[in-house]
Formats: sequence, structure tokens, C-alpha cells
Amino acid sequence: MNVVPSQNLPPKSLEEGEEAIRFILEAARSAGATSADASYVSGVEETVGVRKGEIEKVQAAQSRGIGIRVFAGTRQSSVATRDLSPDHLRSLVARAVAMAQHTAEDPYAGLPDRILPPAIDPAKLFPEESRIPSRDELVERALATEKAALSFDPRITNSEGAECSRSHSHIVFGNSLGFLHGYRKGSYALSCSVIATSGDQMERDYWYVTGPLWEKISDAEAIGQKAASRTVRRLGARRIKTGTYPVIFDPETARSLVGHFAGAVSGSALYRNATYLKGREGTPVMNACMTLREDPFLPGAPGSRPFDGEGLPTRKKTLVDEGVLQTFLFDTYSARKLGRQSTANAVRSLGDGPGVGISNLIVDPGTSTLDDLMKKAGKGLLVTELIGFGVSTVTGDYSRGAFGYWFEDGAILHPVSEITLAGTLDEIYKNIVDRGSDLEIRSSINSPSLLVDGLRIAGD
Amino acid sequence: MPDIVRFFEDRVESSTESLQSALSHVSLPSTVDDADLYFEHTVREHYSVEDGMVKKAGQEVSQGVGARIVSGERTGFAFTEEFSPRQIAEALESARRIAQGPASGRPLALSRPGRPGRDLYPTTDLAFDRPVPEKIGILETIDRLCRQESSKVVQVMASLAFEDKTIQIVRSDGQVVVDRIPLTRLNVSVIAQEGSNRQTGSYGWGGRTDFSGIVSPERLAQACREAVRQALVNLEARPCPSGTMDVVLGPGWPGILLHEAIGHGLEGDFNRKGTSAFSGRIGQRVASPLCTIVDDGTLPGRRGSLNVDDEGTPTQRTVLIENGILRGYLQDRQNARLMGTRSTGNGRRESYAHPVMPRMTNTVMLPGESDPAEVLSSLDRGIYAVNFGGGQVDITSGKFVFSMSEAYYVEKGKILHPVKGATLIGNGPDVLTKVRMVGTDMSLDTGVGTCGKDGQSVPVGVGLPTIRVDGLTVGGTH
Repeated sequence: MNVVPSQNLPPKSLEEGEEAIRFILEAARSAGATSADASYVSGVEETVGVRKGEIEKVQAAQSRGIGIRVFAGTRQSSVATRDLSPDHLRSLVARAVAMAQHTAEDPYAGLPDRILPPAIDPAKLFPEESRIPSRDELVERALATEKAALSFDPRITNSEGAECSRSHSHIVFGNSLGFLHGYRKGSYALSCSVIATSGDQMERDYWYVTGPLWEKISDAEAIGQKAASRTVRRLGARRIKTGTYPVIFDPETARSLVGHFAGAVSGSALYRNATYLKGREGTPVMNACMTLREDPFLPGAPGSRPFDGEGLPTRKKTLVDEGVLQTFLFDTYSARKLGRQSTANAVRSLGDGPGVGISNLIVDPGTSTLDDLMKKAGKGLLVTELIGFGVSTVTGDYSRGAFGYWFEDGAILHPVSEITLAGTLDEIYKNIVDRGSDLEIRSSINSPSLLVDGLRIAGD
Repeated sequence: MPDIVRFFEDRVESSTESLQSALSHVSLPSTVDDADLYFEHTVREHYSVEDGMVKKAGQEVSQGVGARIVSGERTGFAFTEEFSPRQIAEALESARRIAQGPASGRPLALSRPGRPGRDLYPTTDLAFDRPVPEKIGILETIDRLCRQESSKVVQVMASLAFEDKTIQIVRSDGQVVVDRIPLTRLNVSVIAQEGSNRQTGSYGWGGRTDFSGIVSPERLAQACREAVRQALVNLEARPCPSGTMDVVLGPGWPGILLHEAIGHGLEGDFNRKGTSAFSGRIGQRVASPLCTIVDDGTLPGRRGSLNVDDEGTPTQRTVLIENGILRGYLQDRQNARLMGTRSTGNGRRESYAHPVMPRMTNTVMLPGESDPAEVLSSLDRGIYAVNFGGGQVDITSGKFVFSMSEAYYVEKGKILHPVKGATLIGNGPDVLTKVRMVGTDMSLDTGVGTCGKDGQSVPVGVGLPTIRVDGLTVGGTH
């Protein structure tokens, strides 16, 4: 059954996942695999979209899939499928074992050395819900959000609509060492995007909220109004002169800036010689005002998890302490290859073996308000949107398109568009001279506003 | 050749008769304009080499049926991953709730499946037909060739990925179309090091073509040479200047400019809703008279090509801009209907689990009359950009960016030195009005593009001659 309007997950899906994994591990053993692991994900999603006060789309889906990794000694291969019928699974596992015979012997490949219980009771990470909202309730909330945006200001002339969605999933992981655990995860999202016009200039912006419970995304009016105010304030944007200026990254763009660090600090990048942070453990990699923590136990946060993609218990850690790099992040493979221990940072997509990734990342907030930061900077740019992909964690080179606001003497003067910011990640992180107090946990990467002293801006 | 007309019948007990009988219980309200079922069965295989070892190999099987109901501006969508007539009818029933009004008792009437009227890609000599050791051997060869090319190469990462997709589109007008769509992609990425200076170089290629041509010894050698050459060039690169300057774009992949600057802004959904910077501008001048730009899904073997789009409409060559004048938008069936025009065969979806949207296929600027060498020598002071990474656009404000991965600083028509990668930013609706020269050397990219929109990825192509664009903003560091 696939289309389940407004129902919860199929109650048996945790059991179905466990049963499928047991079957697969046994099939792998009989096909000649020396060890194996498997990851099962089953999910229900429902998304409604409204535009200009009318329902525009309704999407419902229930899907499930399983990713399998097999080892033949120190050779490995992986397979994935959405068909859980025993005959198909048996032949797919046999195919995986046959493929593994042809890959290279790799002395570092393999499951973790031992299994340990999950770090935390999963029920503490993702609260149980007494009631799942109906499709009509999702529609109602999306309509209220868009209505608040459209009536906010006469310059709001068009809409890309509002969307409300829910997603519930079961994740089960098991390996041939005997690990077999699962957990349930839920999330809701509400977003709105509108268009403002002035003369022949047209600008679009959006706002959104996500949360583990329906109640967490209840303030439709506030989301709509924020989407509209963000859009209207963009009107009248112009360019600024090319030069080097202080730049404040707002919490949304600061998340993106800090996100590049999560890529550079990966143990996979380290053994591949593919990070500018190589050889920098124990040395300053950011300004001394910066402390970065990873917390996999934040209740309801999108990256929270009781065990990692290889079944190892997750744990809190400090990545950067007052500017000094404390550790890289490792999965079992990158750790073995470099003579280290896994930091339980394996992440897994169905189609591939584990890679390195973070759970939730948090930059410790400071005490300054945005006004304080602007006053401290004197004049400069407050960045609110970044576009493009001009960032290399291999070289640390950074160059992206930006949108923001020019400020002088602590006050915003006008919006700014069609400019770029450029530098190197190393310089940028070291030049973060202050942090805002405006930290909010909205995503898996979370940061307050960050003031960077002296970034190159290309404009007129 | 396997009988693809019978592919889903054999596999999924969805013979026309049993499907017909299941669907006869679903009757569509008269307010429904369009409905379809999209059957998909895709096998993907991938191999990768790093650290001199092919240590990853994998296969993924993906299958399902997407059901879609369109009524005016509304779309209802659901999918199932089980190929049973009952599940399919239930998916359709769920999608149907979007449409208002009483059922008209108008059940779907199905014709026999038909193949598209053309063959843009082969169905024999595909990567799947080759033994696993041969495919692994290709990656081992790449690793060896790159390391032979230069002792500065400290890492080689290469991958070989291919997919074999079979689709069947069942439309509410009774038409049933089947197609089998292959796609192969190879990528070589190297890191070269000199002292503490580490730089990357890469080369990717592929398409909907037979396997022999893609992995010929000459092709592998050329790819490795190019990837290593680019990394070595970047070792010599100096900081890129910043500010507004004139830029010459080399032929091929720099055509990503067209994709970002104008392509997305001409997609039918944004224009129907009036949210694109190009909305309502058909017939107006949006580019220099030197520019004629087409979207062409009919180029044989290209990554962005399709016999039919994901709504069963044959793909075509659509003129977007003719001698600088905006001529047309890219349409799927829903947006075409709402705008009173016809689908241009640009209705595409990532998979059965994703709804259809208007998307590009291969977006190309036709060649001009300038000698490419003269285009470069005309540059007084600026940047010559020959290769790029990705790009992005805000279709409402029109602002777009794309990132150079190999570029040179030029003065008085002479290349002085390579510069580090930097982002270029411009304004879509006017960037093409600043095109001063268009070369004769139009070339298509090597088959590397993937376009993302609303969370969906689809393969695309671009093509560009050498062109000069005045007054682009270059995001360098000095």
C-alpha cells in the first residue's frame, strides 16, 4: 500500500526492517560473504502546496528501501533496492558477493571491531506524537501562511506559494556482528515564498521553519510575515564599489559558511589529501572567539541519532575549542587508514557504503546583538543570501555570489545585489572577530551571526 | 534486443488488460485535464577508484509507478513501488482527490504500447553487457595514466557510473509510450601537489551512447591528460582580480552561462506564474543580434537528449532566442495548456517518485562568424575562462553565478598567467545584450551536466562557441 493519506507509519515497519536485515545477513553468509551490514529506511511523506489562496499540489508517498554492503575478506561491494521480496533480495546479495570478488584487497576495509549498544534511548531524541495532522490541516496551515505573506505589504504582488509537509520514517541498521537496532524519526516543515515588485524590479525571498512536532511549526502568521518582510526589504537593491569591507553573515548564511568546515574536517578528505586542514590538528584554524561543537543528542534536531551509519554509539564532541582544531571526524575506514579511532561519524546513503558526516553542529553564541555587530564593524555588508558553488575544501578557496544590505554607523542604508565575496576559508575563519547572541536551532548546522573583518567584495 | 514493448507486462503483471480492468474502477471527474501513470525500472551500477585501488563497486535497482492527475493549476501526485494493478489504482485514486467535482464515469482507455518514432540512443553495446573485471580495468587504467602524466599527482579519484532505465508512460488520452534510456558517465579527478600548494583538476565525459566509443584507449588517454593538465595549470595560478571586466568564454561547457542566465528563466512554469525576470517578454530584445539560442532534445547520443519527454511528447528543437529576440518558452503539458500553447517536449522528472516540471534538454548557442583566435585577441584587459564548475540562478531577480575552474588573465589580447577559480556574477536578462563577438567554433560539452530544480536532478547538456561578454563581475580576491 503506497498512498496513505494522513496516517502514521505502517506500525510493522520497524519489525519489517529487522526481519529483512536478518534475512539479508543470512543470505550474505550463505552466498559466501565473510561479513555484511544493511540499512533499512521506510518513510511516509505528505506535502501540500498552495498558491494564491488555492491548493496547487498534493503529494503523498510511502516508500522503503534497503542498502546492503558485503565483504569477501577485505574486498567489498554494495547494492540497494526497493523490492524486499525474498527471491530478489537473495539474488541481489549473491550479485553483491560476486562483484566484491573483483574489487581490490583493501586491508582497512571492514565492519567496526566490535559492537556497542546505542548511546541513548531513541525515544529521547524524537518525541512520540499523540496525533498526526490530517491533509486538510496541512492545507489550512499553508493557506494561513501564504495569506499572512500576501497581506503584509501592497508591494507583495505575486507568490510562489506556501508548502506544508510532514515526513515520518523508521531507520533500522544491522550487521553480521550482531548489531540490530532501529528508531523512528518525524519532521514537519512549513515554508513560504513571495514576490515583491517596484517599477520593473522584481525580488523573491522566502522563510521556513522545521521541527519534530506539528506544534513546532504552528506560527503560520509569523512565517508568512517574515517571508514577506524579507522580500519587500530587498527592493531597491544596487551594487557597491569593489573593495575590502567588514562583512556580517546572518545566521542563515553563517550556517552555510560553517558547513564548509564540516566538509574540510572529514577524515575521508584527510586521507585523500583533499583538505586544506591537513596537518592542522592542535593548531588555530579559526579566531579564538570561535567554539564549534557536535551534538547528536539535541532533541528533535534533524541530525540527531543514537548510532551512526555503522552502528557505533554517537557522542558529543568539541571540534574547535577557542579557535583550535581538536579533532577530525572519522568513520571506521578513514580511522583505520590513518591509525585513529572512529568518532562515530559514519553516515550512510542507501546506494553506497558509509562516508563521513556530522550529526548536528553548533557554533557557541556570543553576547552581541546584530546592532552591536554593525556598530563594531562601522560600515560594511550584512549578507543574507549566498548563491553558487565556488568553494573548494581542497584549496580553501572561497568565491560566491551574494545578496545583502549595506550599513554605516550601525544602520542599514540599502539592499545590495549582484556582488561576490571572495577569500580563503582559512582567512575568513580566522578573521571572525565577533559572534552574535542570535543562535537558534533550526537545522543540523546552527550558528549565530558572524562578523568577518575584511572580505573582498567584487561589484562596480 | 529485448522487447521493451512487453517489458512491464512481463515483469509486473500489468498487462494492458489487467491494468485496464484495475483502472476501470477509477473514474476521473470531468474537471481533470490530464492524467498519467509513469512506470519506471532502472538499474544503476557504479565503480570508483581512489588511492590506486578500485575498492568500491555497487548496484542499485529502483522501480515504481508515479500517478499524476492534473486539473487546471492543480496537480495531485502519488507513487507506489509495487507493480500490482491494485496498488497502481490506489495511487491514482489518491492523486485524484486533487480534482474537484463529481466523477464523470470516464475511465482511462488504454491503447497498445508503442515505441517512440525515433532512436537517439543505442540499446546494444551498453556498459551492462560487459564483464565486471573489464569495467574495473578501465578505472585501473585511468589511475595509471594519470600518475604517469606527472609525478606531482598525489591522488587520483575516478568513477564509472551507468544506468539502464526503462519507462512506460500511460496517458489519459489512451496513448501508451515505452522507451529504454541508457546513460553513462565517467569522471577523473586528480590532486597535484608542489610543496604545500595542492590543486585539483578534473575531466568528465559520457552520454547516451554505446560503451566502446566512451572508453576507447584514445578517450581514456585524453581524459587523463586533460585532468592532470588542469591541475598543473592551477598550481601556477595567481589570485584572480576582482571587479567588473570583459570576459572571453571558451567553447563547450562554459555554455552553462546559457543554462543559468536565460534557460531557467524561460521555463514555462515560472512564466505562467509571472515569477521570472523574462515573464511577458516574448518578441522583445533580450540579447545581442549575434545570439541565437536553441534547446534541442533531439541530438543523437547526448546526455540531455530523449526520444520522448517524461510525458510521452516527442522532444524537439525549440528556438528560445533568435538573433537576440526572445521567441519561446520551454513547456510541459500542464503549463502549455494554461498558457494556450503546445508542449515543447520539455516535461521531465527525476524518477517515478517525482512530479513533472518543464526542464531543459541540451541548451546551445549557434555558431557566429568570428574567428575564435580573434575573439581572444580582441580582449584588452580581462579574463579568458575555459572551464567551469557549477552555477545557480535566482529566476525572479535574474541574478546568476557560475564558477571558473580554469581561467587566465589577459592583457592586450595575450594570455599572461592562469588565475585561481572565482565566481562570475551577472544579470540574466541583460548579460546576453553584452555579447560583443561570437566565434565559429560551437562545441557541445563532453556530457557532464546535471541540473537541479526544486530538489529534482536531471541530466542536461550545453553548447557554446567562443564568445566575448563585456562587463561581467569577477569575484576574485585582489
